[in-house]
Amino acid sequence: MSEQAFTTVITGANRGIGFELSAQYLAEGWQVYACCRQPEAASKLQTLSANPALRLCQLDVTDWASVKGLAMHLASTPVDILINNAGLFGGDRQSFGNLDYDRWLQVLDVNTLGPYRVSTALADSVARSTHRTIVNLSSSMASIQDYSSGGGYIYRSSKTALNMVTVNLAHDLKPRGITVLAVDPGWVRTDMGGPNAELDPEQSATGIRAVLEQSSVATSERFVSWENKTHPW
Amino acid sequence: MPSVLITGASRGLGLEFARQYASAGWRVHAGVRNLNGRPPIDDLKHDNVTTHDLDVSNHGQIQAVARRLVNQPIDLLINNAGLWLGENEHYGRCDDAQWFEEFRVHVFGTMAMCEAFIAHIKMGDLKLIANISSANGSLTLDNGVGDYPYNTSKAALNLITRGLATDLEKYAISVICLSPGFVATDMSGPNADLTPEESVSAMRDLFKTLGRDASGTFLRYNGQFLPW
Repeated sequence: MSEQAFTTVITGANRGIGFELSAQYLAEGWQVYACCRQPEAASKLQTLSANPALRLCQLDVTDWASVKGLAMHLASTPVDILINNAGLFGGDRQSFGNLDYDRWLQVLDVNTLGPYRVSTALADSVARSTHRTIVNLSSSMASIQDYSSGGGYIYRSSKTALNMVTVNLAHDLKPRGITVLAVDPGWVRTDMGGPNAELDPEQSATGIRAVLEQSSVATSERFVSWENKTHPW
Repeated sequence: MPSVLITGASRGLGLEFARQYASAGWRVHAGVRNLNGRPPIDDLKHDNVTTHDLDVSNHGQIQAVARRLVNQPIDLLINNAGLWLGENEHYGRCDDAQWFEEFRVHVFGTMAMCEAFIAHIKMGDLKLIANISSANGSLTLDNGVGDYPYNTSKAALNLITRGLATDLEKYAISVICLSPGFVATDMSGPNADLTPEESVSAMRDLFKTLGRDASGTFLRYNGQFLPW
């Protein structure tokens, strides 16, 4: 590991887009802290573990103690890009008259408060890096403007609220030179997106890396797609 | 006699809505938290006002009020109950329990009220649901940036308002979200721009003239459109 290597921290790295981003950043020579709830069960990540630049970390984004433990572990490590990817869809009781309110709170805990917890805990490490970027994986379904279908209340509201976390963090962290973005990864063939989705994880992750490559604190506080197209809020 | 159901009616905007609609001859159902554990509220002592013990974070209480009012039309539902935590909203200070409480009141409470009272609203003439949001809930305006629990829960409230407008269109029910302005209440403090009388009076005028095409929009108290 050379002194110049960049570092990324990725939550929910055991599968889907989080796994693909981990694999791609590793291939680019980055140091990757791949975080998930159960690293011992993360069989896909373990196939990459021959690479010494990969660090598997236990992290539950709903648990402050777990998040602060990760922050202490990284206290002397500059974190160039923090990718808040861990997320839940929240099941099928998301329509009017059929809402599962307990599940709704769990989804907010992971999708909305989770990125807030990890971002605030790691902000010092991000501020000390070269890229100084935090990205929250949002969704085109977070857009209030484009919401014309009804239903899907749990997932959509958690991602709209995540967009608001993004706006607030971008504002609060700007004095420290940190860029904060909400990025829609597209509709991707993952466990969440299902087999009929439009994109494979490689395409989406490649696009997201390009978006981050082109971003700076001057273009912070944006909601963009994996193709770097601006979404309406 | 038209009827209105108001949550958070013990003070501020909710109390002012109850007072004005009662004076205007409406049947007023005033939802008040901890009704039996507090002193009587003088402004709610009016022949047209019925008070209900209603904490919108308690879905059992919501359903109890809905059962009590079964077969009674509700023309207008005002989801007004809300809270704000001052400096405890800020970066590094907001704790999980407070954040969840704001989601329970602003988002889940509003949705659960709509679910529980849909049958009553269908029977009404006006068929309007007004959700009291905030300019802080806008992702594009600069109001109050940094109040994490409040801003995120109001943005989520705006999102569900737009979804409800679509879902309830088939019943000809309109759903809007509103910024009441910066009003001198317990929440905003004495240095605000508007009195509760002014804000509520303007919103009542707006409700009278609102077209069906306004459903699913975000409006200022005076009818100006706000950006999401």
